[in-house]
Amino acid sequence: MSSYSKKRSAELESLGSDKTKYEYRYNPKLLETFENIHQENDYWVTLNADEFTSLCPKTNQPDFGTLIINYIPNIKMVESKSLKLYLFSFINNGEFHEDVVNKIGKDLVKLMQPKYLEVVGLFYPRGNISIHPTFSYSNDQDKYKEIEKHRFINRNINPQRIG
Amino acid sequence: MELRTLKVVKDTQIQYSSKELLFLAQSGQPYRGTLYINFLSKGTTINLIDLKKYITSLRSKVLNSENIAYEIYEKINTSITTNNLGVIVDLSARGGIQQRVSYGKDFQTVLKPNIFQV
Repeated sequence: MSSYSKKRSAELESLGSDKTKYEYRYNPKLLETFENIHQENDYWVTLNADEFTSLCPKTNQPDFGTLIINYIPNIKMVESKSLKLYLFSFINNGEFHEDVVNKIGKDLVKLMQPKYLEVVGLFYPRGNISIHPTFSYSNDQDKYKEIEKHRFINRNINPQRIG
Repeated sequence: MELRTLKVVKDTQIQYSSKELLFLAQSGQPYRGTLYINFLSKGTTINLIDLKKYITSLRSKVLNSENIAYEIYEKINTSITTNNLGVIVDLSARGGIQQRVSYGKDFQTVLKPNIFQV
């Protein structure tokens, strides 16, 4: 095993585990991180989750959607299998789309302290209306504040269907 | 749960589809799929609310992914009498492998882009 493989293996628990346990109640502790070894570079990471599902808090009817997570990593990066398990843990969670997207955004900020992060939720229509909330965050540095401001102001500048 | 029936003109070709099928694989991992149901009516069809509730009820059901089409086929087949009933399920890829399972009469799936929905 190379030193690189050893380092990455030591950082993570759920990836490669023979006994993956799926939790059906919201659990942010499922999230794991690994070290960004390219901290001198600013780069985008996009994570697409097409199988996101949760429940309506009032009717318990299922909701479905795609989540798009874009971020510029700092020191920590979220590991994708742990993210998968974390997102599945919403399966029996009853929350509005807007709350889900903000909750996931806040959990990821707390986990990674990224330079910039946004979470976009593209939920399937219910009652003829699809809801697409966007969470965004930047750290204190001017460059990332500028990115957040730019993306916030320019989102959907010409009213159109997102996704 | 029971699927109530509705009267429909005999020989009406009916195809239902849903992108919101979800059940649990043997590992416990939630499995997503698109469901297609196709048949030629003999005078009845299924109440859509009951079909929605039935599909929703599968969310907590542990199933072998290869049996999901049969599971749904049997449910419909015991509820209404049809000609040429067929069920196709396109499952989301797992381990890089895409899986389509079907049971009953084969048919051409049509998932129209709904101009009223995203």
